[in-house]
Amino acid sequence: MDVDRLRQDAAALLADGRARMVIGFRDRAGDRVPAFITDAEQAGELVYDEACRQNLAAYLKKAELARFRPVAIVARPAVMRSLVLLAAEAQVADADVLVLGVSDDDEYHGILDLAATAALLNEKYAEMPHDPDLVKRIEEISAMTPEERSTFWTEQFARCTRCYACRAACPMCYCTQCIVEKNVPQWISTAAAGHGNYAWNIIRAFHLAGRCTECGACEAACPQGIPLMLLNVVLARDVEEEFGIKVGYDAEAEPVIGSWSPDDGEDFIR
Amino acid sequence: MKLIDADKLTDLAAALARAGYRVVAPIDDSGVVRLKEWAEGAAIRTDAVPVNSAKDFLFPPSEIIGRWDLDGDDFTPRDVQPDAPKTVLLAVRPCDAAALTLLDTVFNWDYKDEFYNARRQAATVVPMVCTAADEQCFCTSVGGAPDATAGADAMLRPADGGTTLILEPLTDKGNVLLDAAGPALAEGDAVADPPVEIPRRFDVEAVTEWLSRNFESDLWPAISLACLGCGACAYACPTCHCFDIQDEATRRESVRLKNWDSCGFGLFTLHAGGHNPRPDQAARWRNRVMHKFSYIPERFKLLGCTGCGRCARVCGAGMSMSEVCRLIADETKKAPTHES
Repeated sequence: MDVDRLRQDAAALLADGRARMVIGFRDRAGDRVPAFITDAEQAGELVYDEACRQNLAAYLKKAELARFRPVAIVARPAVMRSLVLLAAEAQVADADVLVLGVSDDDEYHGILDLAATAALLNEKYAEMPHDPDLVKRIEEISAMTPEERSTFWTEQFARCTRCYACRAACPMCYCTQCIVEKNVPQWISTAAAGHGNYAWNIIRAFHLAGRCTECGACEAACPQGIPLMLLNVVLARDVEEEFGIKVGYDAEAEPVIGSWSPDDGEDFIR
Repeated sequence: MKLIDADKLTDLAAALARAGYRVVAPIDDSGVVRLKEWAEGAAIRTDAVPVNSAKDFLFPPSEIIGRWDLDGDDFTPRDVQPDAPKTVLLAVRPCDAAALTLLDTVFNWDYKDEFYNARRQAATVVPMVCTAADEQCFCTSVGGAPDATAGADAMLRPADGGTTLILEPLTDKGNVLLDAAGPALAEGDAVADPPVEIPRRFDVEAVTEWLSRNFESDLWPAISLACLGCGACAYACPTCHCFDIQDEATRRESVRLKNWDSCGFGLFTLHAGGHNPRPDQAARWRNRVMHKFSYIPERFKLLGCTGCGRCARVCGAGMSMSEVCRLIADETKKAPTHES
């Protein structure tokens, strides 16, 4: 990818004040870690390659960074979808954020506002194929009996230490008080064991149904290697099939969970 | 000296398991190297620092420390004993063993934690000298070494170009373990391989000195920008020891739990009235660094960090304790401030 153009654009945004901070990636002894650039002269630190997997849109929920808005964020297509969805959920305004768009295959898309980001997503990334290995594993798990599936997930969740790295990594987990922090009384057991682990992981996935853009940051952040994307992708697929909606392509779209219709076919909702 | 072929470490594990030890070792767990209980057939991998630390087996993520039967308004306490099987922590890292000095101190400082102590007394610690390290390793910057023996009951030393391991007892527990290993070990001679050289990444005394006069500093918000406030670093850390006491009850029974907690969470310091004295990640990272490099040294004459680097390896947001300490040490090289 043309990293020089990315650096030039970042420097230009900072120099003319269109952005007060550029959030991208830097190299630290071979690791790719986030870079928070506020001075055009530091833009040369930016790097980008396929190892840059963190979803930097998650920094929009960090209150300490609000004073640096408008902020420009280096974003691959799944991250662009996060940003469009955050706009749809009224968490970010058009004036707050710019995108330095990068493709998953070495193309640089330049500086985009949210409208241009949505247009690009619809034009070039309307279909984002899943990793074939992931699809295969979903098929295997879907073919299990409910008892087998329950055993599989109980074993996976047993490793959870409740560090909430999954929650931290996700731009859509922006609640100022998460359900596991409801402690007067405690709503969900915080013990890293048994039913509390099950409850936490299932509730996290449910709260992202129709909200996950499948960036993979939660699973990548999990120190225990719990395959969270197996849950997320199944729920995203269900929302797509049941509601005909793929999230993160339309900043005007009503959120699936946050909207209802008086004409809904289900009785319970009326 | 007692020897075992380097590729026969599982034979040693099997012998110790037969002798009644719960064997905890670095196991290949779907490609991730994790310290866990060894079972027949599991592959032991010593080529990477395990993602978790040895503290998990002395101070588990969640532990029942009290139990009551409930019947209407009546309650009857029930006896709860620590679950402390005889355990060997086999081929852990010297930085794991070094951490036990701090955990022993903090869990016996004012209150004697019977649960930790029972597990600790039942544990025999057998670290392996490191002959390889990665970019996150920094034990030599915090007073440790890849062949340090602090906290160890016996050491495994790679020898003869990595083909052999020398098992060297250091304590009575270590001698008992060697006897238990029996025929899994051979008598012979071998030349220990040199430990890996790990560069010193920062001057820790300069860090501690800077901390003593910089509770307020512009550096705290600057170094904590990337932190998203999870507990991954604290839970991977071999010395982090904070916990939360929770009571959980059904209609018939109540249990009291000791659950891991982390100062990286906002809830950690949230007061009942709504005020939070550590309102952001800058304040929380300040506490994390202060605790390890100022408060613990001041109180116990120990460092709260053994340089294992796990915090940086697990962080999904690229935070690194060694990088933060290097940035602090760099501050001390700048021109003196007006306060001096």
